[in-house]
Parts: sequence; C-alpha cells; structure tokens
Amino acid sequence: MKSNIFVKDKVAIVGAGLTLFRRRLLETPRELAWEASREALSSAGLTLKDIDCIVVGSAPDAFDGIHMKGEYLADGSGGFNKPVVRVFVGGGTGVMVPVVAWWHVASGLCKTVLAVGEEKMSHAYPHPQGVFAYIWDPILERPLGPNLIWIFALEMRRYMHVCNASKEDIALVSVKNKRNALDHPAAQAAAKITVDDVLKSEVLVWPVQLLDISPVSDGAAALVLASESVARRVTDTPVWVEGIGFTLDNTHWYNRDLAYPRYLEYAARMAYKMAGIERPWKEIDVAEPYDPFDYKELHHIEGLMLARRCEAPKLLKEGYFDRSGELPTSPGGGLLGVGNPIAAAGVMKVAELFWQLRYEAGARQVKKPVHKAVANAWGDLMQAGTVVVLST
Amino acid sequence: MSLWKKSRVSDVVHVEGRMETERYIYTPGPVGVKVAEALMEGRIMGVKCGNKLYIPAKTYCPDHSEGELVEVKGPWIVKSYTIIYEDMYGAKLDKPVVIALVGTEEAHGGLIHYVEVEPDKVKVGLKVEPVFRPKEERRGLITDVMFFKPVEHG
Repeated sequence: MKSNIFVKDKVAIVGAGLTLFRRRLLETPRELAWEASREALSSAGLTLKDIDCIVVGSAPDAFDGIHMKGEYLADGSGGFNKPVVRVFVGGGTGVMVPVVAWWHVASGLCKTVLAVGEEKMSHAYPHPQGVFAYIWDPILERPLGPNLIWIFALEMRRYMHVCNASKEDIALVSVKNKRNALDHPAAQAAAKITVDDVLKSEVLVWPVQLLDISPVSDGAAALVLASESVARRVTDTPVWVEGIGFTLDNTHWYNRDLAYPRYLEYAARMAYKMAGIERPWKEIDVAEPYDPFDYKELHHIEGLMLARRCEAPKLLKEGYFDRSGELPTSPGGGLLGVGNPIAAAGVMKVAELFWQLRYEAGARQVKKPVHKAVANAWGDLMQAGTVVVLST
Repeated sequence: MSLWKKSRVSDVVHVEGRMETERYIYTPGPVGVKVAEALMEGRIMGVKCGNKLYIPAKTYCPDHSEGELVEVKGPWIVKSYTIIYEDMYGAKLDKPVVIALVGTEEAHGGLIHYVEVEPDKVKVGLKVEPVFRPKEERRGLITDVMFFKPVEHG
C-alpha cells in the first residue's frame, strides 16, 4: 500500500460527545444519535449549520430492528439537506466512521464532518445474540447450531496455546479495564474485580466466561472532524488524524490465523505508514485496542505492533499497560468497562484518545505525557480491521 | 449456473434457516412517552421550533436544537391522500380505504392516518377532525386515534 496519496486537507478532530452506555435505554436510536452529536458539536463550539457532511455508522440493522437504519439514524445525526453516508463493517464500524470522515475532509470535499456511531441492542428479544444466528455459512456452519462466542472461544484457546498464556493472564485485562472505567461517567460495566472473580464467573463457551466479555449496550458517540484551516480557527488544541487503515482478512474463520490478528497488522501498517510511524512500540504513547473480550485486547496490542507476538500477557502482568504504565491501553475502560454499543463503542475509543491527547480526560488521564495515539476496531465476520492514528 | 428444478424441497439437499430474533421491543424515548400520554388524554402533540410548528412531535428540531412539545389543536386538513381498493393479495376490499397526510395550515408535516370518508368526497384541503377510541381502550399509540373524519359544516 503506497501512502503517498494526494491529501488536499490535513484533518483534525475538534470535538467529541458521548451518551451514557446502558442496557435498555428509553431513548430511541435517533435520540441517542442526536444527544451524542449535540454534545460533540457543542464541545467543538460549532452548530449543525457549520457542518458540511454527515457520516453515520451503525452495525447490523437487526440490532435496532430497523431496516436501512442508516437512513433512520441520519435524522438524529443532523443528516438532511447535506451529503450523508452510512458506514457498516460490523464491529469494525466504530473506527471506520472516523476513517470515512477523514477521507471526506482529506479529499477537500467537506470542510467539516459530523461523524456519529450508534447502536441500540436492547430492542431484540429474547436476546440480541439471536441476530448473529444467521451470519453463518448456511451450508457448512449453521447445521452445527453455532453461536457467536464459538469464534471467540476458538481464538482465545488458540492464543492461549500458541502463546502459552493462562486464563489468569488474560483475566487481568478485564480487571484493568473495568477498574479504569470506574472513572468514566458514561460507563456501564465499571467494577472493582479480581482475577478470581473472572475465573469464577459463569462459563459461556469455554474458555470464555461472563467477565471475559463486554456487555450488551445501548448508546451513541460522535466526533467532529475538520480541515486544518477550520480546525485552527475553532480550537487551539486540534487532534490530528495522521493515519488511517482498514483491511479484511480471510472471510472464513477456519482459514484465519486464530492466534494472531493479521487483519489488524495490515490495517495498522497502512495507518502507521501514512503517519510516518516506523516503530509503533516506541512511538505510540497511549492506545485504545478494541477489547470486546479480554484476550482480544492482548491480540490487538500485538496486531498493532505495540508488543511482540505473545509478549502482551507478560507486559500486562508487569503493569506496562496500566494507566500509570509505559504504554497505557484502554485508559478509559474500553468496551469491557464502558460498554459495547457496537458502532458507538469504536467511536468512544477514538473520543477517549481525543480527550487523552488534549489532557481533558480528568481522572482517566494517563500519567505520562502523550503525543501519539492509536485506536482500532474489529468486526464484520471477525476479519475486518480498522485503525486510526492520532497526534497533537 | 444450474437451476433447482425439483418440485419438492424434500427432493434436494438443503439446510433449514430460521431468524432467531423472535421479536423487537421498541421504546418511544422520554418525549415519545409524553406524546403517548397526551394521546391517552385525547391530545395530539407537535413540536415547536422557534416560530415553526412541526408534526409529528419529536425531541429535536431540524436545526438540532431541543424542541418544545405543544398540543396541535387544528383545524386539521387533508394535505394529500390516496385510496386503497385491494389488499396485499389483490383481493377487492369490501370498502375502499382512504389514507391521508393530515396536518394543519400553519404546521410543517402532519400525520399519516385513515380518513373515514366516501372516496369521491376526499380532496386536498378537506377539513377533518380526529376521532379517538373510548378512553379505556387507548394505549398511547397512534391508533388511539381511530381515524379522522370530515368536519360537519366546520
């Protein structure tokens, strides 16, 4: 992938907003989108009138239970009488939203973009898990009656085997992220727990247990992106989007490396190259690796090349990824702590880095000085990687 | 390409599929709850944004600001309409159904609803009024209004 593409405008994030992340919010999906976008706009000191284009991200329509959900959500996201696109790459959507917003601005097409991620998973009964029942190959997989956690169980077990990592090692991610989330005002699953609590929690699909996994959530998150000229006018502290990347690995999970997220390494290499980052493990100051499961944060730390393969569990144990550590990961609490309204969760991760890089994260602010940051999300049929690199 | 020409499903190798989300529960939001409560009391709400009135009621305005919930008192008129003669299977209905966009002169938008009127009597500009279900049957839904009917010499 050549990175010497023609970029007309440098792109900055100038505002971010978030709703509460909760199970069973009363608000309609578009009211959630509206609340998050309003907060993002006001944090940027802008109004809807100042926005040229809208990017809306949301995962399967079946979650909210509204077909063509993008069109439905456009309304709450300020999307009328303006160019609007809806982005959808499953769980990867949350970080694809700023990626797409980036090219809207970088191309010179729009000077300002309101980028919104929304998910309301509590509409589906008896459980949103049912939505996943028909993502499977109808011939090879469905006859076995799989559920989504099968993929994660096989990935986790394979990772444990290849990297000689224990359940205890992995549970530490959940302990860290839920603890970090105690300082997050929007958090749904913040908790002070121990490794033992994780190991004693209900077994879902071995080795995945209840506290290894992020919750079912409703919520929305929004960002305002702007061209350099606008950004410099509206804020003294723009956060630059230095690099973006997105890749699909093999669609069939039986043909992927379950122990290592290749989809992410390729996406990350694309983003790092654009950002001029050659040694991410040295240059990145703070990261929000996608953590719908605890092992997944370790996976993604390695895929983002912030640690060598199989090295993440050891570094985690040493406190390297703590908020006070050398490379804090998910300092806001991540999906395990804050919650996982799919598309909103990825946007929330980028928002967290926006606040971290502006030293606006309050009690969640990492101890070290921060200048460069990376976030990723993962999804589709678990083969999609999306990455953004930010800097001040 | 090859076609599946067998006449019975049991004659081909196949996998049965089923969508496992049985149903959805949609919540109307905090403002939607107020609108529902108003319906149960026999009032139809709209949203005021500056000096403009929009129907149906909504939490926010087109400019993204928060709207003010207000009762729409009418007078209601038909802004557009269509007449349905057949059901989904093409069978003739016993009685044609009139569907209309019903609003007020000054309001933007309106409600889509039934109008209980002879098909040859409906026209754009026809003055109508809502007919509510008996109070004990109301559930806070749009169908708490059974239909609109022409105003007698209004």
